[in-house]
Amino acid sequence: MKRFQELLESPQNDLVEQAVADGRIPIGYSCSFVPEAFLMADKLFPVRLHAPGIAGTEIADIYLSNFICTYARSLLEFALDDRFDQIQGWVFVPSCNHMQRLIDNLEYLKKPAFSHVLDVPRKVTGATIAWQAEELRTLAEKLSAHFGVDMSDDSLSKAIAEWNSFAEVIRSIGDLRKRPVPLITGTEFHKLIMASLVSPKNLILPNILDFRKEVEKRDGIGVFRARLMLAGSHLHNPEFIRVIESQGGLVVADHFCTGSIPGFMPVATNGDPIRTLAEHSFKKTLCPRMMEDFDRRLKAIIDTVKEYQVDGVVIEIIKFCDLWGVDSMPLVDALRKEGIPVLKLEREYSLGGEGQLRTRVQAFIESMGK
Amino acid sequence: MTQKYFGGCDVGSTTGKAAILDETGTIVSTSIVPSEIDPEITSIKALEQACGQVADLESYKNLARIVGTGYGRNEVAFANENISEISCHAMGTFFCNKDIKTIVDIGGQDVKTIAIADDGSVLEFAMNDKCAAGTGRFLEAMSRIFRMDLDQFSMLSLNARKSIPVTAQCSVFAESEVISLLARKSPPEEVAAGIESAVSKRCFSLLKRIGMRPLVTVTGGCAKNQGLIKSLSKKINMEVTKLPVDPQIIGALGAAVFARRNGRG
Repeated sequence: MKRFQELLESPQNDLVEQAVADGRIPIGYSCSFVPEAFLMADKLFPVRLHAPGIAGTEIADIYLSNFICTYARSLLEFALDDRFDQIQGWVFVPSCNHMQRLIDNLEYLKKPAFSHVLDVPRKVTGATIAWQAEELRTLAEKLSAHFGVDMSDDSLSKAIAEWNSFAEVIRSIGDLRKRPVPLITGTEFHKLIMASLVSPKNLILPNILDFRKEVEKRDGIGVFRARLMLAGSHLHNPEFIRVIESQGGLVVADHFCTGSIPGFMPVATNGDPIRTLAEHSFKKTLCPRMMEDFDRRLKAIIDTVKEYQVDGVVIEIIKFCDLWGVDSMPLVDALRKEGIPVLKLEREYSLGGEGQLRTRVQAFIESMGK
Repeated sequence: MTQKYFGGCDVGSTTGKAAILDETGTIVSTSIVPSEIDPEITSIKALEQACGQVADLESYKNLARIVGTGYGRNEVAFANENISEISCHAMGTFFCNKDIKTIVDIGGQDVKTIAIADDGSVLEFAMNDKCAAGTGRFLEAMSRIFRMDLDQFSMLSLNARKSIPVTAQCSVFAESEVISLLARKSPPEEVAAGIESAVSKRCFSLLKRIGMRPLVTVTGGCAKNQGLIKSLSKKINMEVTKLPVDPQIIGALGAAVFARRNGRG
């Protein structure tokens, strides 16, 4: 676990440096609609953009309003502070207005040598998959032309197979959380997930396999008062979950961009790899940016609550996140109608106000009679 | 000592409060002490002062059970358990008056609204803890500008014929706005009424978030601010129900109720 923690202390960890030294090409991305497997073709590897340990956004605040979420501002801060200097290409999605402003400012202030915006539709209709596939094809051509990498169907199929086998390992560890006595805490699991999203998959895999062996030998992880599910905006800092768990609420399930449900389901391996990746993006990503998809998001949470025997759901929203801010209002009501206790928390991208967070979570667990 | 006693200790940011119940559930003593830097020292001082008022109770160590609450609850190592101040304020209020369904707790560093269930547990809560505006600290800072202690300041606005709106809700900016108003010879009582109106608006918006149901009461040290209570009553369009005990010790009282409930077996 210490190894995963180390890998999360810098936006470009030593495994990224090692891969770059080996001639591989890190591509930064910030949205789950960018298929990781796609960015694993040939010498490429994906790095989820994060800003660990950020203490302030003084430079970014010059360009982005205070009403832009702190995730977008933190990424701009790190970019302008040369903290992403090893990232050789950037792939963005106009996930929300805040992310669009980040892209605009980055292009204006520090234009990357390679950047691309994947224009992901906001509705899933008959034409959506075809559109998304076309977008991925365009990106494949650009990557191939810029970096000289092989983005052929064969290369992509190989990348999908590698991603699928990696995802299977993650799912096998995630499944340990379904047990009545889970063998892994939510904090540990989130460290593992985040470390795997910011590292080259093949280089971190041996650490993950070792960790799985260690976890499988455990008898349990101590006594907890309640089983919680966490849903909401980008959550990168496992310390947020540690604070929740310090109050007796074991986080057994997650539903956010950098979580595992349903983010690590396998990509289909039959047919055109670009099309299957396009289909996979819309199946595995349950983001409030998608319109007319509320019922599917709600059902996914309710199904997860049942499958993981969750006692209560904590919805965490980065302040000024329009998407989750709006979606959470009917979501809280709908979950409560199902008899599921809900705590809604507003937070910043970086962890702050630990005492207040502890009080809220403790009171929530107490209000459930736990 | 044949009688068993149960203690609750609320370690707040400004004061430490203790309450002691006997086996019958009667409040036998309470105390309020200024907070020390170390929450554990605060809790010991508060409990010792409360124990000192009970003839057959020599020390807090003789209490059958102690429950800690408040922001410093995690640091009270000798407590048998700690319970959030949200649950304790709900339980303390329920202990005093079972008809009260909604609480505004204005503490030193945050404001909370709490909806109470029929059994005294928490139905829903909302907190403002992002800044000092609207908290006890805010009112303390304001009273300093008026060169008054909190008691004097709390009475000041009662004689105001109107209130002068204080627009800035940030404590720091509100301070400079109030200084400017007073420098322009605005009547102090009207400025004070404006400050209290700003705080009660904050409370009102938090009350709306949890679905306010009568009766409504105010707990915490700021419940003693009469100007604020008057302003809040106007905002919510109903009387704020008075508690039969000092509203500042409600958290400690709730903790003592939990201590008695969990420690009688």
